[in-house]
Amino acid sequence: MRKRLKLNRPSLRQRARPPRHRTASGARFSAANLSGILKLQHCTACQHIQYPPAELCGVCLADALVYRDTDNGGTLLAQSDLHHSLWEYFKRRLGDGPWSVGTVQLDGGPTMIVHLGPGEMAPGDRVQVFSHSDASQSAVLIAVPDSVDLRTREARRAIVLAMGLNAPAIRPTGA
Amino acid sequence: MRSYEGIVLTSPISLGYARQSAHGAGWYVGSVLRELLGATGIEKADVDGLSVSSFSLGADSAVALTQQLGLCVRWIEEANVGGVSGVLALRRAARAVQCGEAEIVACIGGDGAAHRSFELMAAQFSNWSIDAAFPYGAAGPNGPFSLITEHYMNRYGARREDFARICLDQRYNANHYPPALLGHKTLSLDDYLTARPIAGPLHLFDCVMPCAGGEGFLVMSEERALHLGIPGVRILAADERHNAHAEDPIQDRGGWTDYIDALYDRAHAGPEDVDLLQTYDDYPVISMMQMEDLGFCAKGEGPQFVQGTDMRFDHSGPAKNKLPHNTCGGQLSCGQAGAAAGFLGVTETLRQLTGAAVSHQVPQARLGLISGYGMVNYDRGLCSAAALLAGGDV
Ligand SMILES: [Zn+2]
Repeated sequence: MRKRLKLNRPSLRQRARPPRHRTASGARFSAANLSGILKLQHCTACQHIQYPPAELCGVCLADALVYRDTDNGGTLLAQSDLHHSLWEYFKRRLGDGPWSVGTVQLDGGPTMIVHLGPGEMAPGDRVQVFSHSDASQSAVLIAVPDSVDLRTREARRAIVLAMGLNAPAIRPTGA
Repeated sequence: MRSYEGIVLTSPISLGYARQSAHGAGWYVGSVLRELLGATGIEKADVDGLSVSSFSLGADSAVALTQQLGLCVRWIEEANVGGVSGVLALRRAARAVQCGEAEIVACIGGDGAAHRSFELMAAQFSNWSIDAAFPYGAAGPNGPFSLITEHYMNRYGARREDFARICLDQRYNANHYPPALLGHKTLSLDDYLTARPIAGPLHLFDCVMPCAGGEGFLVMSEERALHLGIPGVRILAADERHNAHAEDPIQDRGGWTDYIDALYDRAHAGPEDVDLLQTYDDYPVISMMQMEDLGFCAKGEGPQFVQGTDMRFDHSGPAKNKLPHNTCGGQLSCGQAGAAAGFLGVTETLRQLTGAAVSHQVPQARLGLISGYGMVNYDRGLCSAAALLAGGDV
């Protein structure tokens, strides 16, 4: 981690990427979400949907969590435009304007911190959440308005492209 | 719950606040211990209990510090619980002394502030932060707290002007507490409102400045303190909760609501009897939440409460209702010294209740309420602790 943070120094990196570090559970979340719209851990013992990823069910404590396609509808509870970041990738993205994140409660229960995709979304609005690989090859969650068609891989990829999430942030020339 | 009768907290020490420091956490813990001994005349050999809170001990532990500092103790604890460190330390140390497991416990919080250390801590604070919070903008605690603040403002109609009341009165208090890192600067409503944006509704003066610092106090029997001739403060009641209200999708209350009525009952007091309040002010909305949950006003009435309450230490503000709050400026004006920030409310209350605050002494300070909050494992602070302390003549 210390080494990775060293590489986060602006002067050392031509191409800055989002935080790559994940726990073993986080890495399994990324692997499970290589395909599909949204895969979350479901407890086969009590049906609880577990997020953030964990090794045991947070309700019944069973070692019975499996990744499954998950109903991705939810409600946006709060949103925030970030103007400051500790990470070089986001610092560069902030040069183009604030970075939006939000809190979504899925209809299935879990509350998740997400990137907010393009489109108008206000607290209380219906939204849908999908997962996609970012420029560090980690799965991240993105919320978009309810009306957006997310059914094809191409449609989801176009949103991530528009956000600049799957490309490194290039060091501005002269910097 | 059994009372804490017969136990006192003594000799508050705060030292070494600095934006950056070449010293490690061990230096801060050891220096606080040296000052505790110097202030009380106690021999190092008489300290037989040690409680340490720190985020930056690195490879070391509280046990490693006993060898480095030449201490032999029969009771030890490492309570790295951020904003509740001070209240948890005093509760556990008081029970240890009450049960005869130790006679004098030194409770110390200390953290260094090496270059980029805050970034390192934010990036790997917990497993759930690593996997599910930090990747979303890498804003550190500002990320989740901007969402909590935004949600609170939408739900209860709070405005930035309401949060400003907390920040401005705290800065006034810090202007009278020389060690506060921002105490030499005044803060006006205009400064507050026009500050640069950080995250959502959070602007520069809503965010604490990470720093280095050390805080500490001693816990011993009332008898021992009397014998040593040092003033002590009694614990009338104290409690804690962790991961309360997990069903709330976004935090707008803490575990205090589970026990606050019982806490006042045990102390035979109510919020109206409190002479000074120290809340954990990592963000002003969190202080407001504590005022509500500690019974000073109903849920959602925090904005009106702070508008109608003078929170200056010397009662000099225009509002009629008086409640000196974060009387040395809190973290928002002193700086956030890692886990030591969780001790600031305790040491400050001890200074006030023993009449040792001098430059920022609250008049007639007899009953103090301290509240701790902390540990953002993912999307909210999980810990909420509180203690009611009384000076000599209550
Ligand atoms: Zn289960």
